[in-house]
Amino acid sequence: MKIVVAIKQVPEADKVAVNSETGTLIREGIESILNPFCEYALDMAVKIKDDDLDNSIEIIAISMGPPQAKMALLRCLELGADRAFLLSDSAFAGSDVWATALTLKEGIRKVVPKFDLIICGKQAIDGDTAQVPAELAENLGIPQIFYGVELKVEKKKIKVKKETENGFQIIETRMPALITISKGPSNIRRLPSMKNVIEARFKPLDIITADELEIDRAKLGLNGSYTQVIDIFAPPIKETGKIIDGSDPGKAADQMMAFLKKKQLIKFEVE
Amino acid sequence: MIIVSSNIISSIKVEFVPFNEIRKIHGSQIISSDYPAYLVDESKLEGNAEWLFFPKSEAEIISIIHFLREKRIPTYISAARTGIVGSCVPKSGSILSIEKMDKMLGLGFDETKGKYYCRLEPGIPLKVINDKMMKKEVEKVRELTPNAISRFLEEKKSYYYPMDPTEMSASISGTVATNASGAGTFKYGATRKWVKKIRIALSNGEILEIPRGKYYASNDGMFIVKQTDGTDLVCKIPSYEFNTDVKNAAGIYAKPNMDLIDLFIGSEGLFGVITEVEIWVIEKHPLISNVLFFNSEPDALNFVKLIRSNQIVSPEFIEYFCGGSLDLLRNVQNKNPAFLNMPQIPSKARSAIFFDLPYSEDNLVSYFEEIDGLANQCNTTLETSWSGYENREFLRFKHFRHALPETVNSIIAERKRQYPALHKLGTDISVPEENFSNMMQYYHSVLQEAALEYVIFGHIGDFHVHLNILPKNIEELELGQKFYEQFAKKAVEYDGSVSAEHGIGKIKIEFLKIMYNEKEIEQMRSTKIALDPLLMFNCGNIFEIQGDK
Repeated sequence: MKIVVAIKQVPEADKVAVNSETGTLIREGIESILNPFCEYALDMAVKIKDDDLDNSIEIIAISMGPPQAKMALLRCLELGADRAFLLSDSAFAGSDVWATALTLKEGIRKVVPKFDLIICGKQAIDGDTAQVPAELAENLGIPQIFYGVELKVEKKKIKVKKETENGFQIIETRMPALITISKGPSNIRRLPSMKNVIEARFKPLDIITADELEIDRAKLGLNGSYTQVIDIFAPPIKETGKIIDGSDPGKAADQMMAFLKKKQLIKFEVE
Repeated sequence: MIIVSSNIISSIKVEFVPFNEIRKIHGSQIISSDYPAYLVDESKLEGNAEWLFFPKSEAEIISIIHFLREKRIPTYISAARTGIVGSCVPKSGSILSIEKMDKMLGLGFDETKGKYYCRLEPGIPLKVINDKMMKKEVEKVRELTPNAISRFLEEKKSYYYPMDPTEMSASISGTVATNASGAGTFKYGATRKWVKKIRIALSNGEILEIPRGKYYASNDGMFIVKQTDGTDLVCKIPSYEFNTDVKNAAGIYAKPNMDLIDLFIGSEGLFGVITEVEIWVIEKHPLISNVLFFNSEPDALNFVKLIRSNQIVSPEFIEYFCGGSLDLLRNVQNKNPAFLNMPQIPSKARSAIFFDLPYSEDNLVSYFEEIDGLANQCNTTLETSWSGYENREFLRFKHFRHALPETVNSIIAERKRQYPALHKLGTDISVPEENFSNMMQYYHSVLQEAALEYVIFGHIGDFHVHLNILPKNIEELELGQKFYEQFAKKAVEYDGSVSAEHGIGKIKIEFLKIMYNEKEIEQMRSTKIALDPLLMFNCGNIFEIQGDK
């Protein structure tokens, strides 16, 4: 059985700020990480593999991104993927969700034509669109189940416990299928051992270019994108309160009065 | 090179501001009711004071000193109050809190050494220094050498100050006054090594500017301070040689022909107020954190020996967890896995070593293969380990290390409900490498025979582990105290230190007497009196002195 885990490298979310003048993300000094939801997806794949008594499961991690996205795939290899592919080419630059899904589809078709299952994170924490997995499944013509929290493979079928607004649903589908994951099998993120770290460096990690995918260039990158990001902006920052030093109560009261008067919050004079 | 005349330094007169412009609180009642935090440090020793000053500049410090001198009021220098031996806790008189002096003043580049250095106000916290260095926030700082700032801003590399005494809210002057150290001391040494220059306000109300490498003690151990009124302060350093063979923060530093700057570093504020500090900063390189588990303590100790002498791998630090420590953390993990936020600790592990290594994809495999070889010699494999190199993982490893003392503290806090006088007994003992294994065996045999609960963890790379005894009642506390003294005596027999990093402060004075004889302590007193004849600064730190008992 072959499980494909499609992943994305993202900037560590809580540290990203938006440059108010240019409207672009300030990524300087921000570390790139494996998208946490993608890590959940990988953990699900590893759990299925660990539970498989026949030891016949292969986990293949795949991503589209710049050369440095290799580090996110390396992390997948440390955490249990058997091999990895990075679709990387300047022709892919500027891809929107549609062009990304198309590129991933061709990538998967080329390198894992006989896959059984694709597992993705429910969304990436940078763009938050959650559209690529759905478009990928649609392009591949396979069933898709979103927001999975538990998976169980039974012969050629997969049973998924998925989150809904009101609770959970259990849905079964035939494989091949695509599942997105909103919660990992454990609340504690795994850590690789030093042995896993070394072994990952010896597992195959191949770079696939646009030429190798044999897709019409017009369908790739910016050319193949139906949507474009016009503007990115941060929500307005809430004004912080002012703390008045109270070590001298007289002075503190004067400052407080001056502030209240300036804001026209009081209209009478205090003797 | 020793220049005979270089033991003479002139103190400088500086401007001072009218005393009434300085922010201050007067009255012991108001201080204890409204400013109680200034009367304690992390040791929880409590003091009292009549005055509390918040100077904003060196000139204000000088004004305060003139006032205190005139009124004969002693003072206790206070900064971030993160110490754990009561050094900043006032016995009486006044508190001089330098916390408002928290700016980075300048940045320079030393062409000869090829290194950057920062000039800092004394109250700046270490965390702020590193944030400014990492984010290159140097817009408002003065350029100390031509083009230093533009050069710094153009650098693609990140820089930082490598001293990490765990508590990064500590102030720079507090860490200089205590010669602070931490896990990273294994690779980077203690604070002393990183101080380029200091300015000190003496009790005469004048300033000493002391760069490293300019003033050395004469062959007969003398320094002479030429005061602006034409008189001299003649200071003789103690004749003992400070033990630097082990990590050591006990007593006044003294060496033949020592650099004057070293007399002030680690002196716990006995000689004056630090008003400015210059420190070296270095390039930050990527790291990989690792925890390797072992089946026994001897295996872990053997690994430490092997990795310390290894020529290929060079850890940033080497930290230890004993079997009891791992049991304590397993309990935490069972009750509240999210608190520890780490994978399950391997069930058979009876000790662990935590170490960071420099990380690059070019050297990673060769380093780990080397470690694998060492691990095999110590009956373990790299399978029973954790490893991580992303920032978010570093935080997890760091938390794992700190979770242990936090857990000990919470257990003691729980037991205090029944026995309010109960407290943790935490040692700070270091011994030389050749005696370390014997010292560990001694700890185990004494404590196991007495059936006391304890954990051992910490800076094993420097042969400086923290033994924490967790008494369950007052009898066990008293027994533990007796053992603590016994361990300190054994450490001194083994040429170790009774206080490797915490300092002596006010709460470990009795331990100092195990390490130094009365004559040596008297020499420390003489040095203190020579530089602070009116006994104005931090009296009662390190040793008792007339009038402060």
